[in-house]
Amino acid sequence: MGDIKDDDANTIWEMSEDGCYVGLTHDYLNIQQAIHKVRSPAAGAIVLFAGTTRDNFAGKPVKELQYTAYNKLALRTMLTICKDILSKHGLKGISMIHRLGTVPIGEESILIAVSSPHRQAAWRAGEEALEACKSRVEVWKKEEFEGEEGVWRANRDGAMGQKVDS
Amino acid sequence: MTSSAPKPPRGHFSVLYFAGAGSFMGRDSESLPAPLPLGKLFSELESRYPGVQAKILDSCLVTVNLDYVDVPEDGEDGALIQEGDEVAIIPPVSSG
Repeated sequence: MGDIKDDDANTIWEMSEDGCYVGLTHDYLNIQQAIHKVRSPAAGAIVLFAGTTRDNFAGKPVKELQYTAYNKLALRTMLTICKDILSKHGLKGISMIHRLGTVPIGEESILIAVSSPHRQAAWRAGEEALEACKSRVEVWKKEEFEGEEGVWRANRDGAMGQKVDS
Repeated sequence: MTSSAPKPPRGHFSVLYFAGAGSFMGRDSESLPAPLPLGKLFSELESRYPGVQAKILDSCLVTVNLDYVDVPEDGEDGALIQEGDEVAIIPPVSSG
């Protein structure tokens, strides 16, 4: 686990289509890039959401987080979500980028940017995109604690996850 | 964890294990003999990894070649997993 093979030629890292951009990366997330992907002269608003890694789970100190993904499927699901939200809210652009591998506490693990002619739609679309991502995209988070085993988290329950036997 | 399995050998399909599934199995992927009815997948995995059904698989979804499939219950066979297919065990997600 945690064995990162960036050079795997079969691994896909980004997709884009009709105003939608989705990406996965092991690098530090670039906020300017996420915004740039949705910039449009027809837009009067860009809303950016940056999800950052929290230092505790229910008060228990978390050392760092590890993210892993089924890249091909995660990107496909992200693109489906983005296309749905773009058309539903009449957006000019939407980008969704998730970081993988080790993410130290306090850094961004996900960026979502949306642009639209007016701000109301952008606020709503941004929130909806994040909620859809959290419930559907095939990315998994493991919280690493000081001095004990990591725990795979599940967004759907918010309860303590399963101990990892490794 | 890499997100794409090596191509399975002839007469096999590949199965990918993510998150808690990978931790339980102690591996990210492997090749199993094809064809295999979808309805036999969990029992096949249970025989290789005792306890995995109750601890992991019961809360997982399954994809075949990137499409979610219904895993038949009550001993029905269901569709056949074919040679070269890419099957994945998908635990509850936790992105964000």
